[in-house]
Amino acid sequence: MSGTWYYIFTLAFFLFDYFILAMGLNIQYGETGILNFAYIGFVAIGAYVTGVLSLPSSAGTGQYYILGLSLPFPVNLLLGGLTASAFAVLVALIALRRLRTDYLAMVLISLSLVLYDVCNNYVPLFNGADGLYNVPEPFAAALKLNTNSFIPFFAAVTGVIALFMWFVMSRVTRSPAGRTFRAIRDDEVVAAALGKDVFRQQLKSMLIGSFYAGIGGGLLIQFSGSFNPTAWLPGETFVVFAVILVGGVGNNIGLLVGALLVETLLVHLPAFLPAIPGAPGLIEYFDAVLIGVLLMVMLWFRPQGVVPERARRAASFGVKARLGTAAGELAEHVGSARAPQATTEPVALTTEGSGP
Amino acid sequence: MTSVTMPETGGPGDGSVILRCEGITKAFQGVHAVNGAAFDVVKGQVTALIGPNGAGKTTLVNILSGSMTCDRGHEFIGGTEVTNWPSHRIARLGLMRTFQLSRELGGLTVLENLLVAPHQQPGESLFNVFFRPRLVKRQERAYVERALDLLDTYGLYRLRDNRAGELSGGQKKLLEISRAVMVSPQVLLLDEPMAGVNPALIDRIGGYILDLQRSGVTVLMIEHNLNVVEQICDHVIVLAEGRTLATGRLSELRQNEQVVKAYLGEVIDAGTDR
Amino acid sequence: MQLFWLSFGFGLVTASVLAISAVGLSLQFGITNYINFAYGDFMALGAFFTYVLNDELLHLNIWVATLGGSVAMGAFAVMLNHFILAPFARRFKKTFYVLIVTFGLSLILLNLEYSIWGADVRFFSMPLDRAHHIGPLILTNSQLAVMAIAVVLMLGVHAMLKTTRLGKSMRAMSDNTTLAMTSGIDTNRVTTITWFLSGALAGLSGAVLGITEGNLTPAAGELFLFVIFAAVIVGGVGSIYGAMAGALLIGLATEVSAAYINPAYKLDTAFVILILALLIRPSGVFARPGRA
Repeated sequence: MSGTWYYIFTLAFFLFDYFILAMGLNIQYGETGILNFAYIGFVAIGAYVTGVLSLPSSAGTGQYYILGLSLPFPVNLLLGGLTASAFAVLVALIALRRLRTDYLAMVLISLSLVLYDVCNNYVPLFNGADGLYNVPEPFAAALKLNTNSFIPFFAAVTGVIALFMWFVMSRVTRSPAGRTFRAIRDDEVVAAALGKDVFRQQLKSMLIGSFYAGIGGGLLIQFSGSFNPTAWLPGETFVVFAVILVGGVGNNIGLLVGALLVETLLVHLPAFLPAIPGAPGLIEYFDAVLIGVLLMVMLWFRPQGVVPERARRAASFGVKARLGTAAGELAEHVGSARAPQATTEPVALTTEGSGP
Repeated sequence: MTSVTMPETGGPGDGSVILRCEGITKAFQGVHAVNGAAFDVVKGQVTALIGPNGAGKTTLVNILSGSMTCDRGHEFIGGTEVTNWPSHRIARLGLMRTFQLSRELGGLTVLENLLVAPHQQPGESLFNVFFRPRLVKRQERAYVERALDLLDTYGLYRLRDNRAGELSGGQKKLLEISRAVMVSPQVLLLDEPMAGVNPALIDRIGGYILDLQRSGVTVLMIEHNLNVVEQICDHVIVLAEGRTLATGRLSELRQNEQVVKAYLGEVIDAGTDR
Repeated sequence: MQLFWLSFGFGLVTASVLAISAVGLSLQFGITNYINFAYGDFMALGAFFTYVLNDELLHLNIWVATLGGSVAMGAFAVMLNHFILAPFARRFKKTFYVLIVTFGLSLILLNLEYSIWGADVRFFSMPLDRAHHIGPLILTNSQLAVMAIAVVLMLGVHAMLKTTRLGKSMRAMSDNTTLAMTSGIDTNRVTTITWFLSGALAGLSGAVLGITEGNLTPAAGELFLFVIFAAVIVGGVGSIYGAMAGALLIGLATEVSAAYINPAYKLDTAFVILILALLIRPSGVFARPGRA
C-alpha cells in the first residue's frame, strides 16, 4: 500500500473516531449543558480498559498491567465503554450534585489531571509513563491481515461503528429525552420547575456521553496498538470541545464536519508535514495555537458552529395543523394578515385599555 | 366589555385549603427576606399576593415552588407536607409556576417549550425510545395536539416553530403561562404575570386567568396593579417585611389602616394611573 | 520526626507560593465571577518573563527580575482581559462560553511558551543558596525570602481590602456588581486594576515557584493550577481569606504526605482533600453560605 493511502486511511480513522468522541461530549455539553472538562479522562479509561482486556496476562510481556484477559474484540471494547460509564456515575454522584458550573469545571479538570498523574506514576495499573503497547490488532490473525492491510480494515470497522452510534445518538437526541436534556441546558431552574429531576437527567447524559468516550478511546488503542499518558493531557479535552464548537453544538452532522475540520485537517494532517529543522515540535505548537485561535474566532463570529442546531418543526410530528385563529396574535408580532378573533374574553383591567 | 364582576363564591371548589404555609422564614446573610409568612390558599380561588417592594414576595414564591429552601416553617399542598422538597417533586404534585423575569427555554422552539412540560413522559425513558417507539410516538402526538391547541388559545400558534429566545417580552409571558398550563396544574403560581406588558395584553392575561379558574385551577399571583387585583382576585394576601400583614378581600383591606400605611397608600397614590 | 519537620518546612514554602497564586485567582474571580483556566499559564509566563530579565537579556538580579516579570505579566493580563476575555464575558450571558475561552487561552499561551522557549527545563541564574536552621526547620535563603514575600503580600492585600477605597470598591463589586455600579464605583477601573493585580500575583507566584523548585518549564503552571484549585475550593471560591487558609492547609498537606507516602502523588493528596471538602461542605470550608 502506498504512503498516500496509508495517510488517507489513518485520517479516515481519526475522522470516525473523533466523530464518536464528539457525539459523546456533545450530549453532555451541547445537549445537557454539563461542562465536562475531564472528558479526555473518560476516553483514557475506555482505552486502557479495552487494552488490558485484550492483552494477554502481563507476566513475561515486559509490561505491567492489571487484568490481561485476552478477550476478543467487540467484547473488550464494550466493556471499556461500560467502565467509562460506571466511572462517570461515580464522578456524577460526588461532583455533579449541587455544584455550580465553574466549581464543577474546576473539579473535573482536576480529576482529569489526577487520573493522568495516577496512570503516569502507578506502574502496576497501566504500565505507568510507558503506557500499553503491543495491544493485539482485532481480527488481524483470523483474517491474516498485515500491518498495511490492517489500517484500511480497521478504519472501515470504525466507520461502521460510528455510523451505528450516530443512528443511536440521533434517536436519543430527537426523542423527548433529548428535549428534556436541552431544557436543562437552557435553564436548569425552569426544567426543575417543570418537574424534571435535573440530577437524574444529567446523570443519564453523563452515562451515555462517557460510554461514547470509552468506545472512542477503545478504538484508539485498538487502531494504534498502544496508548500512553501523553496522549490524554487535559489539553486534549479542548480539542474535542473545538470539534463540537466549530462543527455545531447540538447537531450531529455538524459534529462530523467539526471532526473533519479540526481533528483531521488541523490535528493530524500537520503531523505528516516534515519537521522544521532545528525546531522539533514547532509545528505541533503552532497547530495547538491555531486550534485555540480558530475556536475563539468561531465563538465570536459564529457561535452556533458551521452547521447549527436544527429546530424541530411542528409539521414533523404529523399532527394536523390548526387554523390559528382562536386568539388574536399579539400586536408586537408583525406580519399578521388575519384579523384577530377572540374566543377567550379579555377583561378590562386597565383604565385606558380595553379588549378588542 | 367593561369589567367582570366576580361572584362571591369564586370558581369551582369546595372552600378547602389547597396550599398552606406556616411560619415560612428565610434569611440571606442575616437579613430576613421572609419572616414567618403564614396563609392559606383556597381551592378554586384566584388569590393575590401583594406587598411593597422587598416584602419577600418573589422569595416566597421561590420557596413555595421549591426553587429555594426555607430556614424554618412548613408548606402543605392538599394536606401533604412538602417543606423544602426539591422543585421537581413539588411540580409533580401539580404546583406550577412562572417567573418574574421570563425564563423561556431559549434554544427550544415555542412548541417544544410546551412539549417539554408534561411530567414523567414515557419518551424520557430511553428504554421506551428504543423498545417501545409506538408508545412514545402516540404519546408525543397527544402532547403535540394539546400544545397546539394551547398555543392557539394563547395566540402563539403562528410562532410555534420560532425559537423561544426570539419572542418579544409579552409573547414570552404568554409562553410561560401556557407552558405551565400544559400539565393541567392544580395550583398555578404567577410571579407578576402582567409586569411590563401593554394594557391590551394585561386584559387578555386577565381573561386567561379567569378561564383557568373556571376550569378548576387555583391561582396565586403576585400583582402590583390593584385594578387587576380588584377585578380578578377573590382573595388578597398582604405581605410586608416578610410577614403576612393581613388577608381578606381587597375592599376590606382598603379599610385596614395598617395595610394602607404599609402598602396601599403609596400604590393608590402612585399606581392607579398605571 | 526530622522528616516531618523537613517536610513541614517545604509545606510552608509551598503554602507561600500557593497563597500568592490563590489570592490572585480569587481576586479576579470575585470581580468577574468566572474562573480563569489560563491562570496556570499566566504563572508560567510570568516565570519566563522573569527568566528573560534574569538570564536571557538584562541579567538582572533574580529578585529584581521577579518584580519586573510580575509587572509585565500584570500588564499582559490587563491586555488579555481587555481584548479577549471581557468582550466574550460581555457578549455571552452564560458562564460556559467565557470558561471555554479561558481554557482555549490556556492552550494558546502554553504552546506559545513552548514555541519560544522549547520544552527543555530552564534555570534562573541565582546566587548560591545557604541553608539555615530555624528551630526544628531547615530553610534556605531563597525559601525564607519567598515566605517573607508571601506574608508581606497577604498583609498588604488585607490592608488594601480593608482600608483603601480601591479595596472597598473591590469588595462591593464582588458582593453585587450592579449595586456597586449604581453607587458610583467606576467598575471598569476596578476591573482593570484587579486584572493587573491578578496577573502580577500570577507572574510573581510563577517566578517564585520556579525559584523554589529550582527550574522552570511551560507546563509547570498548569500542573500547579490544579493545586490552586484545591486551595480555593477548600477555602471557598471567591473568598480571599478562605484562599489564604486553603493555601496553608493544602501546602502543608501535600508536602507532609509527599514525605511519608510518595512525592509522585502530591497532586492526589490535594485532590483527596478537595473531594472530602466538597462532600462535607460543597460551598467551601471557609465560604460565605449560599454561593455554591
